[in-house]
Amino acid sequence: MKLLTHNMLTSNIIKGVTKGFPLQIAATDIKVTEVDFNPDFISRMISKVEWPALCEAAESIGHLGDLPKELDPDYEKNEEFLKKAHHVLLEVEIKEGELICPETGRKFPVTNGIPNMLLNEDEVGK
Amino acid sequence: MYIENYNQMIGHYNHAHYLKHSMSWRVNSKMSAPVRGEKMTKAERKALRKQVKSKHTLLKHEGIETSSTPSKHLFVANAGLGNGVSRDEVDSIFNWFGEIADIVLLPEKPYAFVEYTSVDAAVAACQAMHGRKLKCPEEISTPGITFYISFMEKVPPPISIVSALPHGLIYLEEFITEEEEQDFLEFFKTQDADCADTQKTLKHRKVKHYGFEFIYGPNNVDLEKPLEGGIPTVCDGLLDKLMAKGYIQQRPDQLTINQYEPGQGIPPHVDTHSPFEDGLISLSLGSQAVMDFRHPDGRHLPVVLQPRSVIIMTGESRYLWTHGITPRKADVVSASSTEGSQDSLTLVSRGVRTSFTFRKTRSGPCQCKFPEQCDSQKKSSQENILLPKSEQEAAQLENKHVHEVYEEIAGHFSGTRHTPWPRVVEFLTSLPDGALLADIGCGNGKYLGINKNIFSIGCDRSFNLVKICEERGHEVFVCDALSVPLRDGVADACISIAVVHHMSTQERRQHAIQEVLRVLRPGGKALIYVWALEQELHKVKSNYLKEIKMKQRGQQSDSEVENNETVVVENGSQVVQKVSGPDTQCVGTLAGCCQENQSQTSTKTAAGQESRDSSVNESNSSEKPHQVKVGEMNCHTESGAISQKILAVHVNRTKFEQPDLLVPWHLKEKEKRDQTTVGDSKLFHRYYHVFEEGELEVLCQKIPKVRIVESYYDKGNWCAILMKENDA
Repeated sequence: MKLLTHNMLTSNIIKGVTKGFPLQIAATDIKVTEVDFNPDFISRMISKVEWPALCEAAESIGHLGDLPKELDPDYEKNEEFLKKAHHVLLEVEIKEGELICPETGRKFPVTNGIPNMLLNEDEVGK
Repeated sequence: MYIENYNQMIGHYNHAHYLKHSMSWRVNSKMSAPVRGEKMTKAERKALRKQVKSKHTLLKHEGIETSSTPSKHLFVANAGLGNGVSRDEVDSIFNWFGEIADIVLLPEKPYAFVEYTSVDAAVAACQAMHGRKLKCPEEISTPGITFYISFMEKVPPPISIVSALPHGLIYLEEFITEEEEQDFLEFFKTQDADCADTQKTLKHRKVKHYGFEFIYGPNNVDLEKPLEGGIPTVCDGLLDKLMAKGYIQQRPDQLTINQYEPGQGIPPHVDTHSPFEDGLISLSLGSQAVMDFRHPDGRHLPVVLQPRSVIIMTGESRYLWTHGITPRKADVVSASSTEGSQDSLTLVSRGVRTSFTFRKTRSGPCQCKFPEQCDSQKKSSQENILLPKSEQEAAQLENKHVHEVYEEIAGHFSGTRHTPWPRVVEFLTSLPDGALLADIGCGNGKYLGINKNIFSIGCDRSFNLVKICEERGHEVFVCDALSVPLRDGVADACISIAVVHHMSTQERRQHAIQEVLRVLRPGGKALIYVWALEQELHKVKSNYLKEIKMKQRGQQSDSEVENNETVVVENGSQVVQKVSGPDTQCVGTLAGCCQENQSQTSTKTAAGQESRDSSVNESNSSEKPHQVKVGEMNCHTESGAISQKILAVHVNRTKFEQPDLLVPWHLKEKEKRDQTTVGDSKLFHRYYHVFEEGELEVLCQKIPKVRIVESYYDKGNWCAILMKENDA
């Protein structure tokens, strides 16, 4: 699971959880793989991302590097910045570990890079 | 099964040293090619000694007692029918040493008993043959066997060969003349040549149908579609004679001709009860074959079908016993029928056997006395799966008949889904670069990599399917389609392909679509595909679909192979339909969905799914109690209906007659197939709610802030492109 994907996930499917975001990461295996860099694509992705949550996640697993926690308003033109964002969004992957609901502490296992977000019957909201 | 180093276990160790010279002696005097005994090395002997104990157990189990005192009786291990040695071969090898009084071979046993008229001859044979590896094809048809011999006090009393027939089976030997046999064979030959294109060449045999097409899978016939020409006239004489002699009362109207090469066979099965009347007739031509009849209680009666014989399966033998032909190249038959001695068995090679099987189609349900085996009667008594009445029941049903099934069949399922549907691809490629796509119910992820310029995230309820996606490098997670853990409005586009039809109440179907829309950003588009109840809309697009149908026909023969009739599971009591190959396609009324299956494959699951071996059931179209009314289309509603609806199991090539049903999936487990214990097919039922025309739209309209941009029918599915309206 890439951090970009992580940025889209929430645990608000749990009964009583309102925001459920961002999910904390307790990673035991992290893999970094090289992905082709496409500045336009990254710019578009950044526009969809909750930036502080991304930085928090990257920092918690020690992969923030020198990515600024504040989003540069002109980031689309800043290739250096986009490359760093590219690395954090697409190249860092959680292989094994847990995602933790920030409100309830409910843990969702990540195995082989796959988060299991299934709930027990009694946990389901709505 | 081979017995190795038999000498060790019987204590004939000391014979080893005789072998060398006795061998050369025999070679020179009789055999045309050299034969060599193989003396064991010390190391080998040591290893073998360790096996003695277990071999002893085997012996005890087999009840064979040997003696260290020379006698006229020899026990010859590895000279049996069970390991491919025939009586004639045993005879020709052993009669050299003296006059043989008797040879006994038992079915399926890897040994023979040889009785000489003198002890000397027995001793000579033992010395010469014990521990010898037979290498020459002139000696033995399966070279490489080593005989191990010991003396016995006496040959055990011959085990009587079962000559009984299953109850109700009529066997008529030499029922036609050799000339008539030639006529039949000649007929098939010309048909075979004429119809090379339409010929069904099943993997295990050649098949041709007359009167009505036998439809593998559901194993029935379509009475509304008789084949032109009916039963060929070459059969008139035979049928007249059977009628005249009173063997049959009704003239058959369906004929299946099977041709088996040596080594081919047909798995054990009971001909499905409902399509055919009592009294199945089978004429054997060309070569003998042993047909194995098996009773659910375990009884097994092999019946040798000689060329020109006719069998008629009636009563118990038609409805209760399974019959099948083990695919092998030779049969164990009673020697008496070939050479006049009695109670002796030998191996007879099979040639090409052609059988003409005549059946009379049945119009009403079967009312036989064997409800356990009867599909007509089972329909009403079977354990019923009911349409859920509560949320909890719905979740349970989906858990068992959607989630668990996909988990089990994931690998096989994925192997049948590769081709993306063009209109889904069209939707995906129309998305702007940099869009974020959520594929909810992504199955094996066949849509996740279509558009490389967008970021695709997939999810599915099936861990095994998600794993396949992950291995293909996609971003995926496991979740339920009713609780999608994605932030509100993050997706520029969503697809839900063949997912919503796995939800078993209208509320849940609506909920699933709502989840899709929740994840979608305002202004974003979602594409929904659900399986359609109407599978005949191809009239509109007949040309296109016809073409596909033709293609399917072409491919069909292959998959039919896999489809053989109904197969009975080991215990004989449970009848399941056999595996359909992963490419099996349906033809006919399901043209739409078939087509989807085959050429472009379908979807997935979360249940995604798709419709490959689709089938629908006939059955209670009249009541539809719990079905939630959807708009105007509760067409089967009947007042005062029963409190809960039974889910019917869909049958291939029939129309959907009700929206809620179970669709079978035949999981092919391994390639290996032991025809006698057919256990290679596992049957699963997936729940579906197939949508009626307009139903999807009505459902979507119930959801706030949704605009239906477009709705259409595609490959047996109802489809809608939805747009989430901006917050006002």
